[in-house]
Amino acid sequence: MIVVRVVQTGDVDALVALAQETGPGLTSFKPDRAALAARIGRTCRTLEDRAAPHEQGYFFVMEDTGSGDIAGVCGIETAVGLDQPFYNYRVSTVVHASQQLGIWTLMRALNISHDLTGYAEVCSLFLSPRYRTHGVGGLLSRSRFLFIAQFRERFPQRICAEMRGHFDAEGTSPFWRAVGSHFYQIDFNAADYLSSHGRKSFLAELMPRFPVYVELLPEQAQECVGLTHADTLPARKMLEAEGLRYENHVDIFDAGPVLECHIADLRTVRESVVVPLEIVAPDARRDDARDVPRSLVSNTSLDDFRCGAVAGRVEQGVFRLSADEAAALRVKAGDPVRVMTPKHKQGTS
Amino acid sequence: MLFVRPGRLADLDALQQMARTAQPVLHSLPHDRHALEARLALSEDSFRAQADFPGEEFYLFVLEDSATGKLLGTASIVAAAGYSEPFYVFRNDALIHASRELHVNRKIHALTMSHELTGKSRLAGFYIEPGLRGDAAAHLLSRARMMYIAANRKRFTSEIFSLLLGVTDEAGVSPFWEAVGRKFFGRNFADIEVQSGGRSNTFIAEVMPSYPIYVPLLPEAAQRVLGEPDEHALLAYEIHLDEGFETDRYVDIFDAGPVLTAQVERIASVRCNETRTVQTAGELLEAVTPPGAVGASGGATYMVANNSRGDFRCVLAELPVGRTAGLTAELAAGLGVGPTERPAARPAAGLAAGSSTPPPADSRAALPLDLQAELLAARIAFAPLDAATRAALDVREGDTVRCVVLHPDSGPLSAEDAS
Repeated sequence: MIVVRVVQTGDVDALVALAQETGPGLTSFKPDRAALAARIGRTCRTLEDRAAPHEQGYFFVMEDTGSGDIAGVCGIETAVGLDQPFYNYRVSTVVHASQQLGIWTLMRALNISHDLTGYAEVCSLFLSPRYRTHGVGGLLSRSRFLFIAQFRERFPQRICAEMRGHFDAEGTSPFWRAVGSHFYQIDFNAADYLSSHGRKSFLAELMPRFPVYVELLPEQAQECVGLTHADTLPARKMLEAEGLRYENHVDIFDAGPVLECHIADLRTVRESVVVPLEIVAPDARRDDARDVPRSLVSNTSLDDFRCGAVAGRVEQGVFRLSADEAAALRVKAGDPVRVMTPKHKQGTS
Repeated sequence: MLFVRPGRLADLDALQQMARTAQPVLHSLPHDRHALEARLALSEDSFRAQADFPGEEFYLFVLEDSATGKLLGTASIVAAAGYSEPFYVFRNDALIHASRELHVNRKIHALTMSHELTGKSRLAGFYIEPGLRGDAAAHLLSRARMMYIAANRKRFTSEIFSLLLGVTDEAGVSPFWEAVGRKFFGRNFADIEVQSGGRSNTFIAEVMPSYPIYVPLLPEAAQRVLGEPDEHALLAYEIHLDEGFETDRYVDIFDAGPVLTAQVERIASVRCNETRTVQTAGELLEAVTPPGAVGASGGATYMVANNSRGDFRCVLAELPVGRTAGLTAELAAGLGVGPTERPAARPAAGLAAGSSTPPPADSRAALPLDLQAELLAARIAFAPLDAATRAALDVREGDTVRCVVLHPDSGPLSAEDAS
């Protein structure tokens, strides 16, 4: 069974190996042993309540319990921007109108903002191409919301997720070409790397201090504002189904959208339930598997959180798992489990 | 002879013709006859007014051919631009974006809406018959305004400016407007120009960008024309540069045309302004130049303006260069040098062409050295002018005139340098 669990100290080798599979896009998950070990340590301190607010964060791995293969990662930052500032552009609206001339023009302006400071952030999602089959990506991403629902008190009021912005056929960002390159004078990847590794002082030194009118930029760059990278569209759809929305914040490098919402409004927070577990024979539950939805199920343990996707729904106040599934999630009969059952049959995600 | 004088209501027909035919459009010359008439009336009042500081005055000058009475051009000065409303320009700021860590240091230009030129005196409305564009008359017409300012400093601000037409293509499309203004106005440049009727209405404030505009983020075509004069404005641009105006601090908010600025006391027409006494050409008995004075032996083209008697007038005339002292019959008598005692007399070099009578063959010898020294000490500079020039300037012998060499390169740098 495939489960998503909180990272453990022993995972570092497997993570370094997995990180070899990433391309240049994901700057927060690189085959850097020291960085990965630090991230594991940070997760452990957070779980043990030994982390200061600015360093709190959780890192999860996806494990195939049959083989022990680590095939994906994802993370949650508890509150961004408390140490180094968290920069975004806020896309504001400026109306220029003259009654005398009968003119009414709506323009957008990009304003450097720290609006999202203190927001939780879902981030660092990577799934090995070997596991990109039906539903696995959704499990990896949505497991975090089950965690947040279970440990609501550990998170602030709001949450956000940064989407990769649009890149053209040559693999470059038209927005970066039209805006960032003039101010930062370094390569996009270099800028992105420095920024995601906490060396953000250059941002403050070089970024535009005045608002930038979107409509004055080349058309290609204008189109990038709030546009999601084609590869990231499924992730965006999934997050939007969860209740996150584009609220006019975009990335300062590639203008990719930031999705955000109140944590209380997350679908999983609103709709997931905690019920006792009942263990049944595998056949008893699978007979009519075609008609039952796949639910996300997790245990309620903080330091050994585990989440998986199984066919089934809450019936007569209990949720039923086979003995193998229960073992993979480290739960026994009668233990509470948190269950999130989709109301409609899930589509492609 | 061509001369510059203040415009009069009687010039209305001729000016209206100019306003209609001027290409591209002259912003400070209204097409509407009544509006133009009002401007002329304001100009007449302004020249007459006892102004001790710049206000609502508007000074319109015309270039007239004294032989035909025909008007060949016009130019004006607005005493205080945007007197009753703010005057908008883009200030071209340089912002340094530097990071020690990344070894990056870059100057980024940003255009910020500014009212800094509000209330400053502005040169405007320059138009000359196309056939005269290559002529010194164009310089005369444009710079006569500076001659007027030099003689009437109180009427103008200590910093003056001139806003020139920016680059547009054959179809009248301004690349800067396309990249900036159109995004805000959603209209053609020409439509807005007509509607704004002189570029200073407050509607601009309602529609134009309130945040600075980063130049490197604009399309290259727009960046290229920033501060560049249109070919139609090139002549005015060069005349202003000759005069000592500076570029690059401001550009027009519509087409990014150059806005040239100058401190009045630094411009050539003020720095090199000499007062001379009118002398009938040919009657000058002797010219004496200080030894070693630059170009002392030759003549040069000067702008000559009358000084505070009647209407302002300005012409071009050939005058001896530098502080040349001259001996007139009267002066010679005053110095006790009778004509009979004088060993010889010859006319000053470089008198206006054709104006001097040929010297007698026996008048080649120089004045005695002590007499030369005495004349120089008296520091009387003369402007030998022929009858036509005196008439155009409305001056008589003995009046003072203001003289500035037309092309500073060909003469002394300033009056002081030559004295």
